[in-house]
Amino acid sequence: MAGGRHVMDPVEKVVHWVLLVGLLVSVALMGVGIVLGLVRHDGLPSGVVAPDQLRAALADGDAAAYLTLGLLVLVATPFLRVAGSLVAFARERDGRYVLVSAAVLTLMCLSVLLGRA
Amino acid sequence: MTLVAIFAMAVFAGVVGSMVGVGGGIVVVPMLTLAFGAPIKVAIATSLISVIATSSAAQTVFVTKGLTNLRLGMSLEIMTTLGAIAGGVTAVLVSGRVLQGVFAVVLVYVAYAMNRRGGDVRPERTGVLEATFVDPASGRRVEYGVRRFKLGAFLSLFAGNISGLIGLGGGAFKVPIMNVVMGVPLKATIATSNLMIGVTAATGAVIFYGRGFVDIRYAVPAALGILLGARLGPLLAMRLRSRTLGVILQVLLVVFAVLMAVRTVQG
Repeated sequence: MAGGRHVMDPVEKVVHWVLLVGLLVSVALMGVGIVLGLVRHDGLPSGVVAPDQLRAALADGDAAAYLTLGLLVLVATPFLRVAGSLVAFARERDGRYVLVSAAVLTLMCLSVLLGRA
Repeated sequence: MTLVAIFAMAVFAGVVGSMVGVGGGIVVVPMLTLAFGAPIKVAIATSLISVIATSSAAQTVFVTKGLTNLRLGMSLEIMTTLGAIAGGVTAVLVSGRVLQGVFAVVLVYVAYAMNRRGGDVRPERTGVLEATFVDPASGRRVEYGVRRFKLGAFLSLFAGNISGLIGLGGGAFKVPIMNVVMGVPLKATIATSNLMIGVTAATGAVIFYGRGFVDIRYAVPAALGILLGARLGPLLAMRLRSRTLGVILQVLLVVFAVLMAVRTVQG
């Protein structure tokens, strides 16, 4: 085994894929946003698009909307990584780490609420 | 053009951040405030978002190599997220000058702490959160366990707190906590710290996001630049000793510290 390639266990696989897919989706959205920004607005817009206006702005092909969504996917990725780990630990019947993951996820969601308050 | 300049700065931050096991925020925040005139809280929010990008990108390498201790990371994340929440809430409420002053102090600490990183710990079996990995440099299998878990967890609270407060991943604190205090070998420590900074930074980022401190013009080029840099960093870190880069970074951090301290005093 020494020097051989590491074989990922189920939890590692989940973490790897969630982070990779989250990253790629986020980068793709930001790429689209930058192209739209350069073509339609001659640069990047400031601020971010508010959540309630995001869908309409995306449909309009608004650069800021794609950039905002890209950033949101990026920020959401660690949340999904913890949620994915929780599921993977549950499948391995590792109750202790299901609880640990749940605690981390709860605290992270609490911070979302604190950001709004 | 500002967009390209921020992108280039972030590439540099990504390379050094992932190579020495910090998130890159330590470079992003001072550069954005000093060179690009960003308000400190916008710079912190931008940094937190870049740090998330660094973490996600580097993990795709570290997890595949089996270096990351996922159970240890998740356990300590309870404490770092708690700390990050307290830090984030404090940061959005206090004046930017206070944050600049704290940042200047942390810069000096990080420059100093980099100096002290000499040898690695001797791995020992402890029965706590044991893991094994194959050292990419030597090809040897390393088995280790965690020491002093409770102390490490307690200290992680402060690492998370600093992170949420001034926009770092907190790797500069997590690395000595795990390596020196908890006896985790350096390669596994850097990988696990890198995993944790993603969660810590995301926790802080949503607080700043909700309060309107995230700005596309800064966050997008910074995130994309740091992604490119962080992609390159782990590949380089596997092969070479980062001593030269470390010294350059130390000098830079001290310069940043002085400039930020001056701005804190001048207001």
